[in-house]
Amino acid sequence: MILLHRLVRLLVVLLVVTFLSYALLGLLPGDPTTQILGLSATEEARAQLRQELGLDQPLLVQYADWLGGLVTGDFGTSYINQVPVAQELAERLPVTLELLVAAQIVALGLAVPVGVAAARRAGGTLDQVLTAMSFALLSTPVFVLGVLLILVFAVTWQVLPATGWTPISVDLGWNITSVLLPAITLGAGQLAVYARLLRTDLIATLQEDYITLARARGLSPRRILWRHALRPSTISLITAVGLNLGALIGGTVIIETLFGLPGIGRLIVDSIFSRDYLTVQGGVVLISVGYVLVNFVVDLVYAAVDPRIRHA
Amino acid sequence: MKRWRRLAALSLASVVLVACSGQRPVAVSEKSSDPTTPVVGGKLVYGLSADAAGFNPVTDQFAAQSYSMATTIIEPLVSVDVNGDWKPYLAESLTPNKKSDEWTITVRSGVSFSDGTPLTGEVVKANLEAQKASPLNNAVLAPVSSFELVDPKTVKVKLKQPWVAFPYYLAAQIGMIVPPSSLADPRGASQKPIGTGPFTFQEYVPDSRFVVAKNANYWRKGLPYLTQIEFRILPDSQTRAQTLEAGQLDAMGTSRDEDITKFGALKDAFTVQRSQGMAVAEYMFMLNTAVKPFDDIRVRKALAHAMDRKAVISTLRGGLTKEADGPWSQDSKWYSPGGGYPEYDLAKATALVKEVEADKGPIKFEIISTPDPNTMQGIELAQDMWRKAGIEVTIKQADQADLINRAVTGNFAATVWTQFSSPDPDGEYIWMHKAYAGPVGAISLNFTRLKDDKLSQAFDVGRTSPDEATRKQAYATVQQRLRELVPYVFVDHLDTGAIIAKTTVRGIGEHVLPDGEKGLPMTGSPIPYHPFSGVWITQQ
Repeated sequence: MILLHRLVRLLVVLLVVTFLSYALLGLLPGDPTTQILGLSATEEARAQLRQELGLDQPLLVQYADWLGGLVTGDFGTSYINQVPVAQELAERLPVTLELLVAAQIVALGLAVPVGVAAARRAGGTLDQVLTAMSFALLSTPVFVLGVLLILVFAVTWQVLPATGWTPISVDLGWNITSVLLPAITLGAGQLAVYARLLRTDLIATLQEDYITLARARGLSPRRILWRHALRPSTISLITAVGLNLGALIGGTVIIETLFGLPGIGRLIVDSIFSRDYLTVQGGVVLISVGYVLVNFVVDLVYAAVDPRIRHA
Repeated sequence: MKRWRRLAALSLASVVLVACSGQRPVAVSEKSSDPTTPVVGGKLVYGLSADAAGFNPVTDQFAAQSYSMATTIIEPLVSVDVNGDWKPYLAESLTPNKKSDEWTITVRSGVSFSDGTPLTGEVVKANLEAQKASPLNNAVLAPVSSFELVDPKTVKVKLKQPWVAFPYYLAAQIGMIVPPSSLADPRGASQKPIGTGPFTFQEYVPDSRFVVAKNANYWRKGLPYLTQIEFRILPDSQTRAQTLEAGQLDAMGTSRDEDITKFGALKDAFTVQRSQGMAVAEYMFMLNTAVKPFDDIRVRKALAHAMDRKAVISTLRGGLTKEADGPWSQDSKWYSPGGGYPEYDLAKATALVKEVEADKGPIKFEIISTPDPNTMQGIELAQDMWRKAGIEVTIKQADQADLINRAVTGNFAATVWTQFSSPDPDGEYIWMHKAYAGPVGAISLNFTRLKDDKLSQAFDVGRTSPDEATRKQAYATVQQRLRELVPYVFVDHLDTGAIIAKTTVRGIGEHVLPDGEKGLPMTGSPIPYHPFSGVWITQQ
């Protein structure tokens, strides 16, 4: 039942998002014919190409055609390079997916110890230092952080590559090195958010009666913190992880351009500039489905983390 | 639990160590003690600012970066030498008849594509016919009436009018020859190019890298020197420069003056090769002479008089470029000094503005710009200069596709523009001749929509006369008319397009043509491209 409900919601989201993006793209001046044919093409050639691509049809008809294809699993073919959109997305997806996962690992992997350390002595020197660092990270634009990290790790110390991408299938070691700096750059902002959320929730949890009881029973502060307080304090964190996926995907556009990664974000932005509507639509579908699925997984994780939700 | 943690920490540390300490495999070069003798072998990693929109010269529009990558595999019929004259390349010869309305192309013998197909007259004819039929180029090839196969090695090109500069067009996309298999499978050719060139296709990951390997059967014996080239697509100019600095690129293209200044100062580590001559594009403000207020020549002149080109150059280019007064740079043989371009004179500009205002009221217009910070900086500088002369300018941002669409359809008053880097002045024919100027709303390749008889006649003479002195005189007239009529407010010759390489990389811009003459070092804009067959890497 839950699955069916989610499926219906996914379909509604897809319809709304894809129609809106199609309509917005339609409002943009210009079409792909100049991009494909160049400046010196004649009006007749442009008109013929518009007809071949179906761009002479009303927007609603174009959308319905595209939707019809999507139902049968056909994402269409890119106007610009004549490659099936599904193929383009499949080639780019692993890069963005790995970047997103690595960024989340960096953010969560550091946010949990930082949040716990800050909450343990709330208001203390360590908490204040970590708070200041969190705000510094939050207020640093990703492109500034990226350039700084490249300067330090690639140009000065020369321990990591400045740019470029090596797929896992080619070389695992080089893959890890090529994703490290982009992942740290992308995850840094999230790290600050997650650490602040966890700190706040942990401080509240540590005021609960059962924690006082645990203390009274003589449990060590470390055990109380890690075994009894941390788990119930992660609900906001888990919610943020799901919701922040959108922001992270937005961030990948900059990161992929900065570090020269061939991911979905760059593909969509380039496709918008070249008016490659079908590729943009394919990317929008992929991101929408991903976003809904991640938040579905987040709901499942809630239940695992907090039994009260499971039994509700 | 503790043991588990230790194991996990060890595993993570070993993965990171392996990742950080590994070396990318590189080809081993044959040693040479002479630093001027080319070394065979080695891999070149070359940074480019953008990806190609496909590698099929018949169906895909080529930009400068497309030429960088594609010309390692696909070669043209014609090339251009260091003096700017055309020379046969895949063609053994190109011979015009007396009127230059018929050209006979003889195909070079002993040349094969990397798939084994021999290069023949029939293949060349099929390529040229495909180009003529392609919507990309049919406007440019409008003067061609037919291609005829005379014998297995000879193709005759029949023209509707004399066209002395025709071979120059065969030095670019139109003249790049692919095998019949590519003509039959344009989509495949777009992703996996095949040609007669010094390298063969190895790998292409869109928006990431394009890798080519040495063609062992290349028809020019002893070439190429490199075993492999990896082109890396790095759109961010800052991180591209940092990647070169970090040693992960051997060379890169740039159009930033700060890169030229910074790497130029590190002479022991890097070389900087800047584009020059006809390859240099011009930075300008393009005016639509068919709409108000630019249908009035006084307004166009006022804009030019108010433009302090020196201030623009010192502010935007670090003082590296030279002021432009026309479409061809001063170091080109086609440049005509003559003078007559409205010099910076704010008093004259203000006087012209007042004169127009007395007749027609205040002068206002909208200028279109792409939203990138560098372009906006230039526009805002110009806006300030024109405001001082009493002209009210508003800036409208549009992305590249929209801007081009507006230029083509005439839906603009003024816009920032960079153009004019053809090797021969005839390359600008369709952009300025009155025959290509349409009304606002219709497609017009003459974007300024200036219909000037003298200018168009001069272009016609330049196109049809085989005598170089006559052609020079004709193009001097073109420049004179542009200075008098001001459809473009020229700012500078944008020779900040450059290739920066480690000093271990040799031969960039030093290639030799099949007949032994030096080739044109670099061409294209905003970032130039060059052949790679003569590029080599010294021992580290």
